[in-house]
Amino acid sequence: MGALNRRLKIGLAILAVFIILGGILPFFSPEDPRDWIRHPRNLPPSAEHLLGTTNLGQDTFWLLSYATQNSLFIGLFVAFFATLIGVFAGLAAGFIGGITDRVITLLADVFIVVPSLPILILMSSLLQGRASLLLISIVLILFNWPWPARQMRSIALSMRERQFVNTARFSGSGTFTILAEEIVPHIFSWAMANFVNTVLVAIATESGLAVIGLSSLEEATLGTTIYWALQHQALLGRRWWWIGSPVVAIILLFIGLFLISTGISSLSAERRGHGDA
Amino acid sequence: MNWRSSKLVLSLTLLSLFAMFSMALVSAQEQTEVGTPRATTLIVDQLGGRINNPTQTNPYQAGTHMSAGLHQLVYSTLWEINTATGEQFPALAAEMPEALNDDYTSFRVTLRDGLRWSDGEPITTADMAFNIDMILNTPEFPYSGFLSQVIDNYEVVDDLTIILNLKRSEPRLAYTLGVHIWGDNFRMVPKHIWENEDPATFQNYPPVASGPYTMTDVDPNGNWFLYTKREDWQHTDVGQIFGEPGPEYVLFRFYGTEERRIIAGIQNQLDIFTDISPEAWDILRDGNPNARAWHENFPWANFDDPCERGIIFANSQEPWDNQNVRWAMALATDIKSVGLATFAGILRVSPLAVPPVQVIHDAFHKPMRDWMTEFAFEDGYQPFDPNYAVDIAAILAEQGIEGMPEDEEALVDLFGVGWWKHDPAKATEMLQAEGFTLQDGAWHKPDGSPWQITINSPSNFEVQSQRLAFAVADNWRDFGIDATVQQMDGGTFWSNYNNGTFDAGSYWPGCGALPDSWDLLDAFWHKRHIVPIGQPAPGNAMRYDSDALSGILDQIAPLPSDHPDTIPLLTEFEKQFIVERPWLPMFGTSKFVPVVTTYWDGLPTADNFYEGPWWWWSLFKYHMPFIQPKSDG
Amino acid sequence: MQFAKFVVTRIIAYVLVIWIGITVVFFVPRFMPSDPVESMLGRIMSQGAYMEAEQVEAMRATLTQAFGLEGSLADQYFGFLHRTFVTREFGPSLSMFPTPVNELIGRALPWTLGLLLASTIIAWVVGNAIGLLAGYKSRWISSRTLEIIAILVYPIPYYITALILIILFIHINPIFPLFFSVRGEAWSWEFISSAVYNSVLPALSIVIVGFGWWVLSMKALASSISEEDFVYFAKLKGAGEGRIMTAYVLRNAILPQVTVLALQIGAIFNGALIAEILFSYPGLGTMTYNAVLQADYNLLMGTITISIIAVATSTLIIDLLYPVFDPRIRQR
Repeated sequence: MGALNRRLKIGLAILAVFIILGGILPFFSPEDPRDWIRHPRNLPPSAEHLLGTTNLGQDTFWLLSYATQNSLFIGLFVAFFATLIGVFAGLAAGFIGGITDRVITLLADVFIVVPSLPILILMSSLLQGRASLLLISIVLILFNWPWPARQMRSIALSMRERQFVNTARFSGSGTFTILAEEIVPHIFSWAMANFVNTVLVAIATESGLAVIGLSSLEEATLGTTIYWALQHQALLGRRWWWIGSPVVAIILLFIGLFLISTGISSLSAERRGHGDA
Repeated sequence: MNWRSSKLVLSLTLLSLFAMFSMALVSAQEQTEVGTPRATTLIVDQLGGRINNPTQTNPYQAGTHMSAGLHQLVYSTLWEINTATGEQFPALAAEMPEALNDDYTSFRVTLRDGLRWSDGEPITTADMAFNIDMILNTPEFPYSGFLSQVIDNYEVVDDLTIILNLKRSEPRLAYTLGVHIWGDNFRMVPKHIWENEDPATFQNYPPVASGPYTMTDVDPNGNWFLYTKREDWQHTDVGQIFGEPGPEYVLFRFYGTEERRIIAGIQNQLDIFTDISPEAWDILRDGNPNARAWHENFPWANFDDPCERGIIFANSQEPWDNQNVRWAMALATDIKSVGLATFAGILRVSPLAVPPVQVIHDAFHKPMRDWMTEFAFEDGYQPFDPNYAVDIAAILAEQGIEGMPEDEEALVDLFGVGWWKHDPAKATEMLQAEGFTLQDGAWHKPDGSPWQITINSPSNFEVQSQRLAFAVADNWRDFGIDATVQQMDGGTFWSNYNNGTFDAGSYWPGCGALPDSWDLLDAFWHKRHIVPIGQPAPGNAMRYDSDALSGILDQIAPLPSDHPDTIPLLTEFEKQFIVERPWLPMFGTSKFVPVVTTYWDGLPTADNFYEGPWWWWSLFKYHMPFIQPKSDG
Repeated sequence: MQFAKFVVTRIIAYVLVIWIGITVVFFVPRFMPSDPVESMLGRIMSQGAYMEAEQVEAMRATLTQAFGLEGSLADQYFGFLHRTFVTREFGPSLSMFPTPVNELIGRALPWTLGLLLASTIIAWVVGNAIGLLAGYKSRWISSRTLEIIAILVYPIPYYITALILIILFIHINPIFPLFFSVRGEAWSWEFISSAVYNSVLPALSIVIVGFGWWVLSMKALASSISEEDFVYFAKLKGAGEGRIMTAYVLRNAILPQVTVLALQIGAIFNGALIAEILFSYPGLGTMTYNAVLQADYNLLMGTITISIIAVATSTLIIDLLYPVFDPRIRQR
């Protein structure tokens, strides 16, 4: 129990670091870190440039903070709306059934079946390379809500048959009350796992687009930072501060989010009275 | 914590792995992956990636990929180019075309004696006549439309002599039916094979052709193509002109991303590179002591690629229809910072409409340098800065670059004759005179709206132009204009260009490999090509309507290349071009086209300059006799 | 009969899904500003080919006609539907004119199918096994270690994983070939062994990236199910640990995981796109990417249509297999 709460604390601490890095620090940046040739190129880390400078003469630390801000925005924005829409659509489909189920399932199937990356690539051509991060996020939501929806629906289907739901139904509770009191707490930990996953899917998809040069490359995101670093052979050129900082940031960010999610699910388990020792 | 120690292990692994990576791993392979002896197989970087239709080798079909060895080694043309001397020479033809009348509508063409197809049959004028008829009668060929505008009829005189009668005057027939840049579409195929086939659908695999190599094996996935030297190489034009090709086999190979190509080069699995980035060159140089760029030392890159890079404007739209606005943009640009951001300063500047390749640099840029220095606006302001070469050399020396020449003349040869001053004050004055206003550090157009410039740029291809776009936008933002870069895939990039649906763009409408580049200047700038915006332009995509420039081009049109007035008139064109400033050429193209000399002698370099490093041009076949296996290899 | 109705409903949905998907995909690129003819011309010109203005014009006219891009959008659309469902051919590739799209897809499809099926199944089985252990036996050191490995590799961006694999196993320790190269006649032993040999690293990179998610989601499911009353009662009844894990926890956790497997088929196509490009793998993903870059409509329509049909079909199959995993659904 204590160990699990410690996980939550560590996770929150990591997340707090990223919120400071991406949410607060950019407002104190002495420069727009996206500008090129503002500093000498390829400086190693120093007191003046905490993470050195890039081959394009940008300060890597401030670049990273801008990139974190944009990537967090994409990840959280997409995950929040995709999970929200997905969970409610899936539960509605599973519990209400009938026509609602058919329509939602069909819609979900369409978005699952159409591969999203080619569509994103097409859209960025369609918009003549002006695909903003917001637009990329919206497309990602469009392609990510069916996942929780499908899974929620099948959980709902199997749960409809379960004892505690039937008990509640026989005791006269309405559908909404059943949802709120019995189902939501039950699926909360799963929804959190899904949320974390969607954050990562969103960030990974954006960086996937970036690696083939199709994201909004003038914006700094963790993906485009990696793109520019790879374009300038930072990996083979051993410029670790440049290529390494966004990679380490992505890894840490995920670990932080994951610890939070397991922490929350164990808390909810405790609350239901099945404290996992 | 476990994850922390795992991370430590991971980073240690990475560190040790890159430490090892820096050591040159020379793998002494006896055989190539395709089973040929490594020591006699020249491995060439396949430009343009994997080819999904590898056995489509019909040279006239639209979707046949010519640059993976086909036009370099298998097909040949009537007239070729030598970029080292800046002259064309007869290839399959025995001589340059001989005009039979004064208006250049009838020519005698003779073929080289003793040439044979790769199956041993002789190459005669019957084949040439067959090719002309076939192309004219196969409208499915993209080339058909063009040839039918040129050729009216022919008369076969004997096996080696043919007379071509044209529909229009062609003072430069060797440009029209021969190579000026890259290659030419008129690639002869043998009559005795093709007369039994439907040319529109014939795959032609394996091809029987006239070049010194034959295509002997292909990867079904299109990652490699193997070519074998013809035993009867004496019966090819290459053999007759230059002698026996050195490599027994030539393997064109697509290794994938730049990292892989570099690793392949470090492992001696790639002898000849097409384009790589300056950063990649640094790594290759560290990793393989036998890697050699065009220059032995700084600046390494070759500056003779036949197109120059810069920024074009939508000249028919406001505010770009105003010559003073275009000039102001030149003065608002800090060319040194653009050069440093683009390719770390490894570039040769060009203020003219033709690229600064060596033969053209000597014929136009350097002779015009004094004129440009003296050139002044109506108000007496002299915009030219002749000190670019000296200044950039000083900046690079400060960054620790060694091995640069000392004297100004050599620096000018290297970095160019100079460019326009970086003078934001003068640019501000010029814009304000045109009604533009500067409010809170941001420029507004005469109608009061904020001035936004969108620069089209290639995304992930043509890296130099891509980086240049970002660097210029960065510059102009500092000047107070809201400039952004719009990256585009190839299709979008070019259709916007041709349709004129752009504001500004990082394109390269300044090409040429020979002093007489009238044909290209005419295509880029003559007003008769202009069509309304939204329609694809046959030329002059910038839609620049200038009577003065078009007039000079009309004067040059009827003159053959060696006419004494041709060069002076082209110089007049350049002067008028500077006055009107229809686009902002900035740099010649810097190509990092290194070679690995582990197995080979005689690969072309700056100090062995028999030909430029154009492995993707059809002239690559003429490199072959110079390239010889290392005797101890 | 209930079950028959369920099957019929699913098949109607299947057809609708394919139709809507294909229609969307047909219209999106038609509104792209890039024009295949211009793209083709641009590609030829950017190779450095020099053409006179008249030559460009003549070539443009020839290409437009040859590519069959004349006629209204509706004509093109119905022509496309007809070709897809009736004659089942996608016409000539525009960038590799006149090679038929069918021929190109026929060559690429087996590569993609083989790679994706193998790597997905491996990732699913291994990932779920580890996830089950980690969720149910969350106190075991080994299950925690495995879980931590999953957490560590999961977030690394795909191409970084791939690049690290390339450097580790190709450059430093050259176990696998750096470059994709398959030798031998089709289906000869040499061919099969070199194909497998060349596919190990791309497959491994997909497995590594995929399996982390299976571990994490399975773990979450298994640990929440382990806390259910019926598991508690089973323990009280004295059922063995192994039996509880398989008969109770796995049985209940597997259904959502099977669903996700069906859904995963669509998503791994995305993964394939990047995987194939990075490993120079000759599959549909690389082909789709090149088709987009070269504005090759016919090829693009072909590859995406094939992938839609493949994904929809595998989803259908797994949906129809539901009752095998959860008999309660049959009675609905």
